[in-house]
Amino acid sequence: MTDAAHRLLWTIVALLLVLGGGVALGVSFDVLPGDPGAVLVGAGALDRWRLAAPWSTLAAAVAGALLALAGARLLARELHRPDHAMRGTLSRPGRRPGRTRLATEVLAHALERDLTGDPGVRRARVVLTGAPPRPDVWIRVDLTADARAAGVREHVHSAVRRFATTAGCQPAHLDVTARIEPGRP
Amino acid sequence: MRTVNRVASMVLATALLVVGAVVAVQALLVALDRPAPLLDRTGWYGVLTSARWHDPGVRTVAGAAALVGLAILAAQLRRWTPVRLRTDERDGWHLHRRCVERRLADAATAVPGVRRARVRVRRRGTEWHPRVRATGDPAARAEVEFAVHQELHRLAAPRTGQITVRLLPQRRPV
Repeated sequence: MTDAAHRLLWTIVALLLVLGGGVALGVSFDVLPGDPGAVLVGAGALDRWRLAAPWSTLAAAVAGALLALAGARLLARELHRPDHAMRGTLSRPGRRPGRTRLATEVLAHALERDLTGDPGVRRARVVLTGAPPRPDVWIRVDLTADARAAGVREHVHSAVRRFATTAGCQPAHLDVTARIEPGRP
Repeated sequence: MRTVNRVASMVLATALLVVGAVVAVQALLVALDRPAPLLDRTGWYGVLTSARWHDPGVRTVAGAAALVGLAILAAQLRRWTPVRLRTDERDGWHLHRRCVERRLADAATAVPGVRRARVRVRRRGTEWHPRVRATGDPAARAEVEFAVHQELHRLAAPRTGQITVRLLPQRRPV
Protein backbone atom coordinates (compact mmCIF):
# COMPACT_ATOMS: atom_id res chain seq x y z
CA MET A 1 0.00 0.00 0.00
CA THR A 2 1.20 3.50 -0.75
CA ASP A 3 1.74 6.21 1.86
CA ALA A 4 -1.30 8.07 0.52
CA ALA A 5 -3.47 4.95 0.92
CA HIS A 6 -2.30 4.54 4.53
CA ARG A 7 -3.00 8.18 5.20
CA LEU A 8 -6.52 7.87 3.79
CA LEU A 9 -7.21 4.69 5.76
CA TRP A 10 -6.16 6.24 9.07
CA THR A 11 -7.99 9.50 8.35
CA ILE A 12 -11.19 7.46 7.89
CA VAL A 13 -10.49 5.46 11.08
CA ALA A 14 -9.85 8.73 12.98
CA LEU A 15 -13.07 10.31 11.69
CA LEU A 16 -15.05 7.22 12.74
CA LEU A 17 -13.50 7.35 16.22
CA VAL A 18 -14.23 11.08 16.59
CA LEU A 19 -17.78 10.64 15.30
CA GLY A 20 -18.54 7.61 17.50
CA GLY A 21 -16.95 9.14 20.60
CA GLY A 22 -18.60 12.51 19.97
CA VAL A 23 -22.08 11.05 19.52
CA ALA A 24 -21.71 8.87 22.64
CA LEU A 25 -20.55 11.89 24.66
CA GLY A 26 -23.39 13.99 23.21
CA VAL A 27 -26.01 11.44 24.30
CA SER A 28 -24.30 10.96 27.65
CA PHE A 29 -24.37 14.71 28.46
CA ASP A 30 -27.89 15.11 27.03
CA VAL A 31 -26.67 17.41 24.24
CA LEU A 32 -27.92 15.09 21.51
CA PRO A 33 -31.40 13.49 21.37
CA GLY A 34 -31.59 10.34 23.54
CA ASP A 35 -32.07 9.39 27.16
CA PRO A 36 -28.77 9.53 29.14
CA GLY A 37 -30.30 7.21 31.73
CA ALA A 38 -31.12 4.47 29.22
CA VAL A 39 -28.98 1.34 28.98
CA LEU A 40 -26.67 1.01 25.96
CA VAL A 41 -28.62 -1.93 24.51
CA GLY A 42 -32.23 -1.66 25.63
CA ALA A 43 -34.94 -4.28 25.95
CA GLY A 44 -36.53 -3.18 22.67
CA ALA A 45 -33.38 -3.87 20.67
CA LEU A 46 -32.96 -7.25 22.36
CA ASP A 47 -36.57 -8.19 21.55
CA ARG A 48 -36.09 -7.22 17.92
CA TRP A 49 -32.88 -9.29 17.79
CA ARG A 50 -34.63 -12.36 19.27
CA LEU A 51 -37.66 -11.97 16.98
CA ALA A 52 -35.39 -11.83 13.92
CA ALA A 53 -33.48 -15.01 14.92
CA PRO A 54 -32.03 -17.03 13.25
CA TRP A 55 -31.57 -14.33 10.57
CA SER A 56 -30.06 -11.90 13.05
CA THR A 57 -27.34 -14.37 14.07
CA LEU A 58 -26.75 -15.29 10.44
CA ALA A 59 -26.39 -11.58 9.63
CA ALA A 60 -23.84 -11.32 12.46
CA ALA A 61 -21.97 -14.31 10.98
CA VAL A 62 -21.93 -12.66 7.54
CA ALA A 63 -20.77 -9.36 9.05
CA GLY A 64 -17.98 -11.22 10.87
CA ALA A 65 -16.95 -12.99 7.67
CA LEU A 66 -16.86 -9.67 5.78
CA LEU A 67 -14.78 -8.14 8.57
CA ALA A 68 -12.33 -11.06 8.43
CA LEU A 69 -12.17 -10.79 4.64
CA ALA A 70 -11.40 -7.07 4.85
CA GLY A 71 -8.66 -7.82 7.41
CA ALA A 72 -7.17 -10.56 5.20
CA ARG A 73 -7.12 -8.28 2.15
CA LEU A 74 -5.54 -5.44 4.11
CA LEU A 75 -2.92 -7.82 5.50
CA ALA A 76 -2.18 -9.21 2.03
CA ARG A 77 -1.68 -5.68 0.68
CA GLU A 78 0.62 -4.81 3.56
CA LEU A 79 2.76 -7.90 3.01
CA HIS A 80 2.82 -7.49 -0.76
CA ARG A 81 6.18 -6.19 -1.99
CA PRO A 82 5.61 -2.97 -3.94
CA ASP A 83 8.18 -3.93 -6.61
CA HIS A 84 5.91 -6.67 -7.88
CA ALA A 85 2.95 -4.32 -8.11
CA MET A 86 4.79 -1.77 -10.22
CA ARG A 87 3.89 -3.00 -13.68
CA GLY A 88 3.03 -0.28 -16.13
CA THR A 89 0.80 -0.58 -19.18
CA LEU A 90 0.85 1.56 -22.27
CA SER A 91 -2.59 1.75 -23.80
CA ARG A 92 -3.96 3.48 -26.88
CA PRO A 93 -7.54 3.63 -28.18
CA GLY A 94 -7.84 2.31 -31.74
CA ARG A 95 -9.87 3.67 -34.65
CA ARG A 96 -12.39 0.88 -34.17
CA PRO A 97 -13.93 0.13 -30.75
CA GLY A 98 -11.30 -1.30 -28.45
CA ARG A 99 -7.98 -0.38 -26.98
CA THR A 100 -4.46 -1.66 -27.59
CA ARG A 101 -2.53 -2.44 -24.40
CA LEU A 102 1.18 -3.11 -24.30
CA ALA A 103 2.91 -4.65 -21.30
CA THR A 104 5.84 -2.36 -20.82
CA GLU A 105 8.22 -4.85 -19.21
CA VAL A 106 10.29 -5.39 -22.37
CA LEU A 107 10.78 -1.67 -23.00
CA ALA A 108 11.39 -1.00 -19.33
CA HIS A 109 13.99 -3.78 -19.08
CA ALA A 110 15.80 -2.38 -22.11
CA LEU A 111 16.02 1.03 -20.47
CA GLU A 112 17.09 -0.55 -17.16
CA ARG A 113 19.95 -2.39 -18.94
CA ASP A 114 21.05 0.86 -20.56
CA LEU A 115 20.94 2.70 -17.22
CA THR A 116 23.03 0.07 -15.41
CA GLY A 117 25.69 0.44 -18.12
CA ASP A 118 27.21 3.26 -16.07
CA PRO A 119 29.52 1.93 -13.33
CA GLY A 120 27.99 4.43 -10.90
CA VAL A 121 24.53 2.86 -11.21
CA ARG A 122 24.17 -0.32 -9.18
CA ARG A 123 20.47 -0.94 -9.79
CA ALA A 124 17.77 0.68 -11.89
CA ARG A 125 14.01 0.28 -11.89
CA VAL A 126 11.83 1.68 -14.66
CA VAL A 127 8.05 1.94 -14.89
CA LEU A 128 6.22 3.24 -17.95
CA THR A 129 2.61 4.35 -17.81
CA GLY A 130 0.26 6.39 -19.94
CA ALA A 131 -0.26 6.60 -23.69
CA PRO A 132 2.35 4.98 -26.04
CA PRO A 133 3.48 7.99 -28.04
CA ARG A 134 4.16 10.05 -24.92
CA PRO A 135 4.40 7.78 -21.86
CA ASP A 136 5.21 8.82 -18.31
CA VAL A 137 8.62 7.44 -17.32
CA TRP A 138 9.35 6.72 -13.64
CA ILE A 139 12.94 5.79 -12.85
CA ARG A 140 14.62 4.81 -9.60
CA VAL A 141 18.38 4.41 -9.61
CA ASP A 142 20.61 3.15 -6.79
CA LEU A 143 24.02 4.78 -7.06
CA THR A 144 27.29 3.46 -5.70
CA ALA A 145 29.03 5.39 -2.94
CA ASP A 146 31.70 6.73 -5.30
CA ALA A 147 29.31 7.80 -8.08
CA ARG A 148 29.41 11.42 -9.23
CA ALA A 149 25.78 12.53 -9.19
CA ALA A 150 26.21 15.01 -12.03
CA GLY A 151 27.77 12.37 -14.30
CA VAL A 152 25.07 9.80 -13.52
CA ARG A 153 22.41 12.43 -14.09
CA GLU A 154 23.77 13.11 -17.55
CA HIS A 155 24.00 9.36 -18.23
CA VAL A 156 20.35 8.86 -17.21
CA HIS A 157 19.19 11.64 -19.51
CA SER A 158 21.26 10.24 -22.40
CA ALA A 159 19.72 6.79 -21.79
CA VAL A 160 16.22 8.29 -21.82
CA ARG A 161 17.01 10.15 -25.06
CA ARG A 162 18.27 6.88 -26.65
CA PHE A 163 15.15 5.09 -25.43
CA ALA A 164 12.92 7.80 -26.91
CA THR A 165 14.66 7.51 -30.27
CA THR A 166 14.67 3.70 -30.54
CA ALA A 167 11.22 3.02 -29.03
CA GLY A 168 9.57 6.03 -30.61
CA CYS A 169 8.19 7.11 -27.23
CA GLN A 170 8.98 10.65 -26.20
CA PRO A 171 8.40 10.86 -22.42
CA ALA A 172 5.63 13.25 -21.50
CA HIS A 173 6.78 13.23 -17.89
CA LEU A 174 10.11 12.07 -16.52
CA ASP A 175 10.56 11.39 -12.82
CA VAL A 176 13.92 10.14 -11.52
CA THR A 177 14.70 9.25 -7.91
CA ALA A 178 18.32 8.58 -7.02
CA ARG A 179 19.38 6.78 -3.86
CA ILE A 180 23.04 7.00 -2.98
CA GLU A 181 24.80 4.40 -0.89
CA PRO A 182 26.29 5.64 2.36
CA GLY A 183 30.02 5.78 2.84
CA ARG A 184 32.73 7.96 1.41
CA PRO A 185 34.68 7.00 -1.72
CA MET B 1 4.90 8.62 10.53
CA ARG B 2 5.08 6.43 7.44
CA THR B 3 6.49 3.51 9.43
CA VAL B 4 3.98 4.06 12.24
CA ASN B 5 1.15 3.99 9.68
CA ARG B 6 2.44 0.75 8.18
CA VAL B 7 2.80 -1.02 11.53
CA ALA B 8 -0.59 0.28 12.73
CA SER B 9 -2.23 -0.92 9.50
CA MET B 10 -0.79 -4.40 10.00
CA VAL B 11 -2.06 -4.48 13.58
CA LEU B 12 -5.49 -3.26 12.43
CA ALA B 13 -5.59 -5.87 9.65
CA THR B 14 -4.69 -8.69 12.05
CA ALA B 15 -7.27 -7.50 14.58
CA LEU B 16 -9.99 -7.32 11.90
CA LEU B 17 -9.08 -10.81 10.67
CA VAL B 18 -9.10 -12.42 14.12
CA VAL B 19 -12.18 -10.61 15.48
CA GLY B 20 -14.13 -11.11 12.25
CA ALA B 21 -13.32 -14.83 12.10
CA VAL B 22 -14.26 -15.33 15.78
CA VAL B 23 -17.56 -13.44 15.37
CA ALA B 24 -18.43 -15.39 12.21
CA VAL B 25 -17.72 -18.80 13.74
CA GLN B 26 -19.42 -18.04 17.05
CA ALA B 27 -22.52 -16.58 15.38
CA LEU B 28 -22.78 -19.63 13.14
CA LEU B 29 -22.56 -21.90 16.20
CA VAL B 30 -25.35 -19.90 17.88
CA ALA B 31 -27.48 -20.10 14.71
CA LEU B 32 -27.02 -23.90 14.70
CA ASP B 33 -27.96 -24.12 18.43
CA ARG B 34 -24.48 -25.28 19.35
CA PRO B 35 -22.59 -23.92 22.38
CA ALA B 36 -20.49 -20.85 21.57
CA PRO B 37 -17.83 -20.85 24.33
CA LEU B 38 -16.21 -17.48 23.52
CA LEU B 39 -19.51 -15.58 23.43
CA ASP B 40 -20.68 -17.14 26.70
CA ARG B 41 -17.51 -16.43 28.64
CA THR B 42 -16.81 -12.81 27.86
CA GLY B 43 -19.56 -11.08 29.86
CA TRP B 44 -19.94 -8.37 27.22
CA TYR B 45 -23.66 -9.05 27.12
CA GLY B 46 -24.03 -8.13 30.77
CA VAL B 47 -22.07 -4.91 30.30
CA LEU B 48 -24.06 -3.77 27.26
CA THR B 49 -27.43 -4.50 28.88
CA SER B 50 -26.63 -2.90 32.25
CA ALA B 51 -24.35 0.11 31.50
CA ARG B 52 -26.14 3.45 31.02
CA TRP B 53 -25.13 6.33 28.78
CA HIS B 54 -24.36 8.64 31.72
CA ASP B 55 -22.11 6.09 33.50
CA PRO B 56 -18.56 7.39 34.10
CA GLY B 57 -17.13 4.30 32.38
CA VAL B 58 -19.10 4.95 29.19
CA ARG B 59 -18.10 8.63 29.22
CA THR B 60 -14.44 7.72 29.74
CA VAL B 61 -14.43 5.26 26.84
CA ALA B 62 -16.27 7.71 24.55
CA GLY B 63 -13.96 10.59 25.49
CA ALA B 64 -10.87 8.45 25.00
CA ALA B 65 -12.11 7.33 21.56
CA ALA B 66 -12.78 10.93 20.50
CA LEU B 67 -9.37 12.11 21.78
CA VAL B 68 -7.48 9.25 20.11
CA GLY B 69 -9.39 9.97 16.91
CA LEU B 70 -8.48 13.67 17.08
CA ALA B 71 -4.81 12.81 17.71
CA ILE B 72 -4.70 10.42 14.72
CA LEU B 73 -6.49 13.00 12.57
CA ALA B 74 -4.00 15.72 13.48
CA ALA B 75 -1.07 13.39 12.78
CA GLN B 76 -2.46 12.44 9.37
CA LEU B 77 -3.45 15.93 8.25
CA ARG B 78 -0.26 17.78 9.20
CA ARG B 79 2.32 18.30 6.48
CA TRP B 80 4.82 15.47 6.27
CA THR B 81 8.44 15.94 5.29
CA PRO B 82 8.74 14.76 1.67
CA VAL B 83 10.75 11.56 1.12
CA ARG B 84 12.61 13.11 -1.82
CA LEU B 85 14.46 16.35 -2.44
CA ARG B 86 13.94 17.89 -5.85
CA THR B 87 17.18 19.08 -7.39
CA ASP B 88 15.85 20.60 -10.59
CA GLU B 89 12.40 21.84 -11.59
CA ARG B 90 12.91 20.98 -15.25
CA ASP B 91 14.40 17.49 -15.53
CA GLY B 92 12.49 15.63 -12.81
CA TRP B 93 15.65 14.61 -10.92
CA HIS B 94 15.19 13.88 -7.21
CA LEU B 95 17.52 12.66 -4.50
CA HIS B 96 16.32 10.46 -1.67
CA ARG B 97 16.31 12.71 1.40
CA ARG B 98 17.52 10.08 3.89
CA CYS B 99 20.47 9.17 1.62
CA VAL B 100 21.47 12.83 1.24
CA GLU B 101 21.28 13.43 4.99
CA ARG B 102 23.33 10.30 5.69
CA ARG B 103 25.99 11.32 3.17
CA LEU B 104 26.23 14.81 4.64
CA ALA B 105 26.45 13.35 8.14
CA ASP B 106 29.27 11.06 6.98
CA ALA B 107 31.08 14.04 5.47
CA ALA B 108 30.73 16.02 8.71
CA THR B 109 31.91 13.08 10.82
CA ALA B 110 35.02 12.73 8.63
CA VAL B 111 36.27 16.13 9.85
CA PRO B 112 38.98 15.67 12.52
CA GLY B 113 37.64 16.48 15.98
CA VAL B 114 34.02 15.61 15.13
CA ARG B 115 32.61 12.43 16.59
CA ARG B 116 28.91 12.16 15.79
CA ALA B 117 26.88 14.20 13.35
CA ARG B 118 23.26 14.37 12.40
CA VAL B 119 22.03 16.36 9.39
CA ARG B 120 18.56 17.52 8.39
CA VAL B 121 17.94 19.15 5.02
CA ARG B 122 15.03 21.49 4.46
CA ARG B 123 14.06 22.92 1.10
CA ARG B 124 12.84 26.50 0.82
CA GLY B 125 11.93 27.36 -2.74
CA THR B 126 14.82 26.13 -4.85
CA GLU B 127 17.39 26.34 -2.05
CA TRP B 128 18.50 23.59 0.30
CA HIS B 129 19.17 24.46 3.93
CA PRO B 130 21.23 21.79 5.70
CA ARG B 131 21.27 21.82 9.50
CA VAL B 132 24.16 19.97 11.11
CA ARG B 133 24.16 18.93 14.76
CA ALA B 134 27.41 17.34 15.76
CA THR B 135 29.44 16.45 18.82
CA GLY B 136 33.06 17.52 18.80
CA ASP B 137 35.45 20.42 18.93
CA PRO B 138 33.53 23.72 18.40
CA ALA B 139 36.61 25.10 16.64
CA ALA B 140 35.97 22.69 13.75
CA ARG B 141 32.81 24.54 12.71
CA ALA B 142 34.30 26.05 9.56
CA GLU B 143 35.75 22.70 8.45
CA VAL B 144 32.37 20.98 8.96
CA GLU B 145 30.65 23.65 6.90
CA PHE B 146 33.25 23.26 4.16
CA ALA B 147 32.95 19.42 4.18
CA VAL B 148 29.15 19.61 3.91
CA HIS B 149 29.44 22.14 1.13
CA GLN B 150 31.86 19.88 -0.79
CA GLU B 151 29.58 16.87 -0.37
CA LEU B 152 26.59 18.87 -1.62
CA HIS B 153 28.67 19.80 -4.65
CA ARG B 154 29.47 16.10 -5.22
CA LEU B 155 25.74 15.31 -5.05
CA ALA B 156 25.06 18.00 -7.66
CA ALA B 157 22.70 19.71 -5.24
CA PRO B 158 20.99 22.93 -6.32
CA ARG B 159 21.83 26.32 -4.82
CA THR B 160 22.50 25.89 -1.12
CA GLY B 161 21.31 28.44 1.41
CA GLN B 162 22.89 28.95 4.77
CA ILE B 163 24.45 25.83 6.29
CA THR B 164 23.64 25.81 9.98
CA VAL B 165 26.26 24.01 12.07
CA ARG B 166 25.77 23.36 15.77
CA LEU B 167 28.80 21.76 17.36
CA LEU B 168 28.39 20.63 20.94
CA PRO B 169 31.56 19.94 22.91
CA GLN B 170 31.97 16.33 23.89
CA ARG B 171 31.38 15.54 27.56
CA ARG B 172 34.42 14.18 29.29
CA PRO B 173 33.89 10.99 31.33
CA VAL B 174 34.06 11.64 35.08
